[in-house]
This record gives sequence, C-alpha cells and structure tokens, in this order.
Amino acid sequence: MAFRKIDIDALEEDALGQDELDFQEIGEARSRQEVEAQVNSRAQEVRTLLQRGNTGGALSSSLQSPPYGRGFEAAKARNTQTVMEVLNSIKVAEVAQLVKNLNPEEQDVLMKYLYAGMAAPEQNNSGVLLAWHEKLTEVAGQGCIVRVITDRRTV
Amino acid sequence: MPGRLDANRSAVGLSDEEDGAPSGALMVRVGVQSNTLRPYLNAVRQTLTAAMCLENFSSQVAERHNKPEVEAGASREVLLNPVVISRNDKERVLIESSVNSLRVSIAIKQADEIERILAHKFTRFLTQRAENFVILRRKPIEGYDISFLITNAHTEQMYKHKLVDFIIQFMEEVDKEISEMKLSLNARARIVSESYLSQFN
Repeated sequence: MAFRKIDIDALEEDALGQDELDFQEIGEARSRQEVEAQVNSRAQEVRTLLQRGNTGGALSSSLQSPPYGRGFEAAKARNTQTVMEVLNSIKVAEVAQLVKNLNPEEQDVLMKYLYAGMAAPEQNNSGVLLAWHEKLTEVAGQGCIVRVITDRRTV
Repeated sequence: MPGRLDANRSAVGLSDEEDGAPSGALMVRVGVQSNTLRPYLNAVRQTLTAAMCLENFSSQVAERHNKPEVEAGASREVLLNPVVISRNDKERVLIESSVNSLRVSIAIKQADEIERILAHKFTRFLTQRAENFVILRRKPIEGYDISFLITNAHTEQMYKHKLVDFIIQFMEEVDKEISEMKLSLNARARIVSESYLSQFN
C-alpha cells in the first residue's frame, strides 16, 4: 500500500463508500430540526423526572430512540449530555438495580453511551462511567459489548 | 513473555511521592489497587475479551494477500467501531477491532517531566524488541504510548484469555515500573548531589 500514493481501489465503480455503511433510516429521512427538537424535548422530560426523584424513569426515557446516522452530530452530542447528566445524578448503590430493570435494548443503548462518554474524558467523569460499565457488564454480559462494537447505529 | 516485568513483581504498590524514599523502605504491598484502577482494568478486560473474536480473512482487494484489516484499512466493511476506555484524560485505552485483527493502544500515566521521559524510554526499549513480544506493534498509534496488534494467527497459536491477561498485566506493571524507576532515579540523584557537594564542606 505504502508505495502507492493514490488509492486506486477507491476509484473503482463498485467501491464501497463510508456513506453506504453509515446507518440510514428506512423510508423518509427525518430533518435535522425534527431530530434536534425531539432530543431537546426529551432532555426537558428527563430533567423533570430527575427533579421528582424518579431516577429509573429518567434513565430509561433518556435511552429511548437515540439519534442515529450522519448529519446529526449536534443532536448526538446533546443526547449524550442528557444521558451523562442522568448517570452522574444516580447514586452508586442504586446502579445495579436500575440496570437490571432495563430491557436488553435499553442496556445496549446505555453501553453505547458509556463508551461515548469514556471517549471524552475531559468532559465526563470516567470513574462514574467505569462503575456503570462494571455493573452493566455483570447484568448484560459481553454480548452487550459485542453489539456496541459491531452496530453501525453509532451514537 | 515479559521477563523483565515479572522480575519486578514483588516491589509493587509504590507511592507517587516526589521525594524518593530510600530503596530499603519500598514496602511489598501486593494486591493493593487504588479504587479506580480495578474497574478500569476490569472494563478493559471485558472489552478485550468481547472484541477478540478473530478469524482468518483474506484480503478482498488483492488476490492471495492476507493482511490485518485494521492496519490495511482497505475494506471499510470489515472494520468495527473503535472504543475508548478512559480512567482520566491521561490514562486511556483505544481498542480497534476488525474481522481478523485487533489493535490495542495504551496511553500511560505521565504526571510530570520525569515520568514522561521514563515512559518514553521504557516503551522505546520494548518496541525495539518487538519481535520478542510477538503481539507488540513497532510503532504506537498517534496519541498513545504503546500499541499491540493481535491477529487471528495469534489467537490460533495462543489462548485468548492468556492474551487478555498479558495486556492487563502489562498495564498493571508498567505504572509500577515507571514509579519505581522514578523513585530510584530520585534517590540516586540525591546521593550523587550529596557526595558532590560534600567536597565543598
């Protein structure tokens, strides 16, 4: 590869592009405003639930229908922030029970957000995320991690 | 594999204190891990075990070639999502996996100038002897201090759990090794300066 400066395989007609691999919703694509509005309203909802002390409800509603696909970077960052707020405001003692109450799909989404949070250690508290990761792996197993690293629907 | 790392196993649990205690005071405190180290290593272990599902896979681009896809990067569809596990913004592990190879990059804790030099010398020492370490990559990934490349050939020759254990053990030992070297460096510097300045008494 190294001696060749031009990637000639990319010029081929049936070369696979990154845009073909990225997740796309079936049917009509949602507009950016629509996705951002949904993310913002969920952030509001999660915050009210947290203020009422309903941590379980806040956790599972923050993990509903996360924004996937390309072009939604702002919405993704906003949603990650919402999830991080929830994770940081839950006491360590509660974590194990809350994780057990999530359904498998929510567990996978939570694992995605744990890795997304750990990828930015300047903004997030890695210690908290590591504690969550430990508890979640105990409940959901390594299959959960495998689903995160193989899923094209990245957060 | 890591003879040098094994030899120093007994002297662990060193503190990070700047003023190096005399080497006789290095207490043997085996098994004492700080609170965030255990979940960190645990997360790395679980993720590595999950990611290390490798199989033989020939190149889709060049006929009769077989290369680690994570390095070649020639076909995007066989690369998986890279994940980062971080303990703080200095210490983190990047795990990039693909259908037939896995790349683990480690950023070692470097609190000050001395530790940075020691970590650089230490990783350089190891990478120059990469063929003895089998899975060590000759050059670390940008932003990390040391990288390992595990291919399907390695997982066929060696036990998967032992490979994971090796990387975890490496991560445990390297911190100890560097803080130990820092202590002995400080102690030596103190003795040298004392004996030098005593001439002027």
